[in-house]
Amino acid sequence: MNELKDPRKTFGEAVIEAAEKNPNVIVLSADSSSGSGLGAFPSLFPERHFEFGIMEQGVIGFASGLATTGKIPVFAAIAPFVTARPFEMFRNDLGYMNQNVKVVGRCAGLTYDQLGSTHHSIDDIAIIRTIPGVTVINPGDPVTIKKAVHAMIDHVGPCYMKIGNFKMPVLYPEDVNFSLGKGIVIKDGHDVALIGTGTVLSKAVTAAGLLEELGISVRLIDIHTIKPLDRELILSAARETGKIVTVEEHFTAGGLGSAVAELCSQEHPVKMKMIGIGDRYASNGPYEELLRKYGLQPDQITETVIKFLNNK
Amino acid sequence: MPGNTRFKKVEEFKTLMDSKEILKLEGTALKIRRNILRLIRAGEAGHAGGALSAVEVVTALYFNLMKIDPGNPKWPQRDRFVLSAGHKCLVLYAALAERGFFDASILDTYGALDSPIPGHPNMHKLPGIESNTGALGHGLSIAGGMALGLRMEKSQSRVFVLMGDGELAEGSNWEAAAAASMHKIDNILVFVDRNRLQISGPTIDVMSYEPLDERWRSFGWSVRIIDGHDFEAILGNAREIPFEKGKPSVIIADTIKSKGLSFAERKVNYHYWKATPEEMEQAERDLDLIEKRLKEKTERITGNE
Repeated sequence: MNELKDPRKTFGEAVIEAAEKNPNVIVLSADSSSGSGLGAFPSLFPERHFEFGIMEQGVIGFASGLATTGKIPVFAAIAPFVTARPFEMFRNDLGYMNQNVKVVGRCAGLTYDQLGSTHHSIDDIAIIRTIPGVTVINPGDPVTIKKAVHAMIDHVGPCYMKIGNFKMPVLYPEDVNFSLGKGIVIKDGHDVALIGTGTVLSKAVTAAGLLEELGISVRLIDIHTIKPLDRELILSAARETGKIVTVEEHFTAGGLGSAVAELCSQEHPVKMKMIGIGDRYASNGPYEELLRKYGLQPDQITETVIKFLNNK
Repeated sequence: MPGNTRFKKVEEFKTLMDSKEILKLEGTALKIRRNILRLIRAGEAGHAGGALSAVEVVTALYFNLMKIDPGNPKWPQRDRFVLSAGHKCLVLYAALAERGFFDASILDTYGALDSPIPGHPNMHKLPGIESNTGALGHGLSIAGGMALGLRMEKSQSRVFVLMGDGELAEGSNWEAAAAASMHKIDNILVFVDRNRLQISGPTIDVMSYEPLDERWRSFGWSVRIIDGHDFEAILGNAREIPFEKGKPSVIIADTIKSKGLSFAERKVNYHYWKATPEEMEQAERDLDLIEKRLKEKTERITGNE
């Protein structure tokens, strides 16, 4: 089994590395730094950490203003509270003003499992990707979380990145090639393209293995950047496999599946199946059981793909 | 009495104050009001009431108080201005044009397709605009961030903010007010344009945040109340900030909505003015009268020399 690593700790360590290299990196907290793996940041960089208490709308505005002076604010907190709650601030103060601010939603998806729908974030990709100019990043393992942090800090412009809560398997070697906007083909194949993102990428990886055992050739793709979408990679998968299945811990409305469908329906229509959460408030309970409830466990993904390939 | 923050008229300042400078600013304010009429003529309508109430404050900022360079609008050492009440943009466009940030002919594009002067300001379209505002309750946070960033850079630049009084019902303002105080951001000065009216009626009837001075003070700000149409009061109080070291400063500027237009002053239905030809003619006559009185005042003062 792959090594497991804490996504928040990984994220925090990467931000500290980035801050050591770049003096403009600062961290803003809405009573949220310690819970975001940034507990060490205030003592390491006391002049570059600003605590605001629980005021996410205010923090986004302050981040925008700080960015006008050349700072690179990183603001991490529980995902719905940095996306849905201050959406207008995100849209106007970061997007419309095109500010170089990095917003990170942690404990995203269903990973705040038993805390219920107020704390789940399964709409963040849908709403944030409507904002022109915002890069939306959803890395699927600890190695790419770390690389995504550095890429996001190097990128000039507003970014939203989401990470989970529970320890997640390492899927990539340390030297994996990572660029924003460029998907990663984990495994080539020709019967179907299985496209995963974020916290359930590892489930898609396991499912792809199960499908291979059944003799199905799967092209497994990690779309860690939902926006800008890797059009060429997805269109070549559409052309070469003719069938696409998307896997995400998000509403099927507006997420990765939607983004892929928006592209393919106009450029190269293919049969698609979207695995994700339907038009309902997700339930509460242990994380792995929630994933099972919404068909996101590897055996369920495998079964869905087989049915899809059999036209059922 | 603890609640009384009406700042004493700075008598010593008044004597030092160059009365010619005041006259000059009054003349500029008139030109800015004329520019606002020009914008309304071009766009056939606009948020005139709150723009006209803020003319003196904005004039004082752009023609006296702020360190700015119209030829170099991104000059790093400049003072910043954030128009939190973005719908007051007519006064900002009028002032920026008058100050030479862009050619005044741009004012005639108000309302046109792709105009660089939309109904709420866009920093990417026009030099001199520091932030994209319009949705209320955003500006103070943005300005607070600017001030904090400038302080980190040990910059001497200051951040000025113009807010509406109706706008203060947005809760996000009070997040920003608390944060500015908590972080001891004292290179910021907020003007609240208290014209006491908003779309649906008097602010105290719609959603009162009075007593405003006590609210701000309880959030840790240093507060002054002035007549927002009196240049002596504006300059005398705004020239030196912070009012108290380590505290953000706010001036509650008591103003008259639609100031200068006889038929519209203090009338709630001129928040957004769709000008009839008759009203526009009357508005011109009103400004002509102001000009006449200003000339008489000028002669009186310069004649005394």
